[in-house]
Amino acid sequence: MMRPIASLGRSTLDALSALGRAAMFLAQSAVGIPSREGWHLWLRQMHFIGVMSLAIVLVSGLFIGMVLGLQGYTILVGFGAEDALGQMVALSLLRELAPVVAALLFAGRAGSALTAEIGLMKATEQLTSMEMIGVDPLRRIVAPRLWAGFISMPLLTVGFSVVGIWGGYLVGVQWLGVFDGSYWSNMQSSVAFVDDILNGMLKSVVFGLVVTWIAVFQGYDLIPTSEGISRATTRTVVYSSLAVLGLDFVLTALMFGELG
Amino acid sequence: MFDNYRDVDEPYVTDTTLVDVEGLHFSRGENDIFRGVDLRIPKGKITAVMGPSGTGKTTLLKLIGGQLVPDAGRVCIDGEDVHGLSRRALFRMRRRMGMLFQSGALFSDLSVFENVAFPLRVHTDLPEAMVRDIVLMKLQSVGLRGARNLSPAELSGGMARRVALARAVALDPELVLYDEPFVGQDPISMGVLVQLIKTVNQALGLTAVIVSHDIKETLSIADYVYIIADGQVMAHGTPQTLDVNRDARVKQFVHGEPDGPVPFHYPAPDFYRDILATKGERS
Repeated sequence: MMRPIASLGRSTLDALSALGRAAMFLAQSAVGIPSREGWHLWLRQMHFIGVMSLAIVLVSGLFIGMVLGLQGYTILVGFGAEDALGQMVALSLLRELAPVVAALLFAGRAGSALTAEIGLMKATEQLTSMEMIGVDPLRRIVAPRLWAGFISMPLLTVGFSVVGIWGGYLVGVQWLGVFDGSYWSNMQSSVAFVDDILNGMLKSVVFGLVVTWIAVFQGYDLIPTSEGISRATTRTVVYSSLAVLGLDFVLTALMFGELG
Repeated sequence: MFDNYRDVDEPYVTDTTLVDVEGLHFSRGENDIFRGVDLRIPKGKITAVMGPSGTGKTTLLKLIGGQLVPDAGRVCIDGEDVHGLSRRALFRMRRRMGMLFQSGALFSDLSVFENVAFPLRVHTDLPEAMVRDIVLMKLQSVGLRGARNLSPAELSGGMARRVALARAVALDPELVLYDEPFVGQDPISMGVLVQLIKTVNQALGLTAVIVSHDIKETLSIADYVYIIADGQVMAHGTPQTLDVNRDARVKQFVHGEPDGPVPFHYPAPDFYRDILATKGERS
């Protein structure tokens, strides 16, 4: 009788302790705002995390936009409303698909790589040796990665949306024959800058912070063995995906739902 | 040469102590690693901390370096309590230390040259020409000036440790901590490392702490030795006095005897009964 209760208590305490460690970790790392000396470290991470994720994000955005164009046309044409294809593609992408899918792809591509990289540095005592040289790895290793992820995510989301809208145009207008004037003008008249574009960007900023935070913390906090690295990498992708989807619901409810 | 050393059984006291460890207690979970360890590391000497595997020698270095916090007791470096310092002050203090890791722990994304230049670049504003000169001097002293453009992945274990030694002394620290420097080295690399540690120590007037269980090599360069077992200092003295120590445990360790007070076998039930155990009795 007591064992399950004790086990539940222990798990809860472990989870709370990990959450506390993660919060302290974020507070100590976020202080390392890119300085003049650390500029090159931050730029290198922007390249690795942002630029190197560009290909997978843009290609995915193109295909998702094309699928939206095709599916949207098939449904809308039944109501004689295919002229509204532009606004459907744009709103779906800006409000939901671009921030969420880009964040999921980002977690898989950059998040897992960050965890493995920092984990391997820990396993080979590189982080410890840096500490002993008198350099704080939270500032030198973690902070540039955290900031690079935080800044890259909204930019990648913009790229995803732009390419997705173009993909919808290729399928809807060029292939299925929707009038291009109505595709663009309906989109222009129905998309609101603050409600749609800024809210979508805000989501991507939150997702960028959460995914990068999970990734670097999992790398920093793992058990430095090959099994530990493998488990932490998996945890990064699983936790990031769940956090993105869960937070998406909360943010959507606050922005567009009755709660807002 | 060892005027400061008193009787072997008396705690070692000197007015030139750099590291002072007092009543150190440390445990991991239920496992007590240290139960009241006292050590004095004198300035400008090579002090060895030895003991069987698993006695917490590396943990001791991490406690001295402030990476772990003791349950009780103090570690003072030059009179300052390491664990009472703020994070920033601790990092400032570490600039006065160097540490040689068992694996070398070179930064894998930097070349040999950049690894040695790393402490100079982050802690000094020296012009590039001077950084280059210092790095080449340090690499020359470990015999690897020609390997400056290689990446750590291209080095052998012994070479990596020599580069790590050059990096550890790049800022001319007061204290260098060596974590198992001779482990897994071939005889030539081992000889080179022994010679290097001794030469570098003498040339730069460093204080060194060597954690090791390679008896012959360590005793050949150490000025003073502490032997740790069962969470406490089992014996201490100069290599010469330890060599003639009559304590059975010290004798077993120093002379590498396979069986003695430290048993060869891990605790287990009677061998005969274990072999003949029926299926139901087998654990």
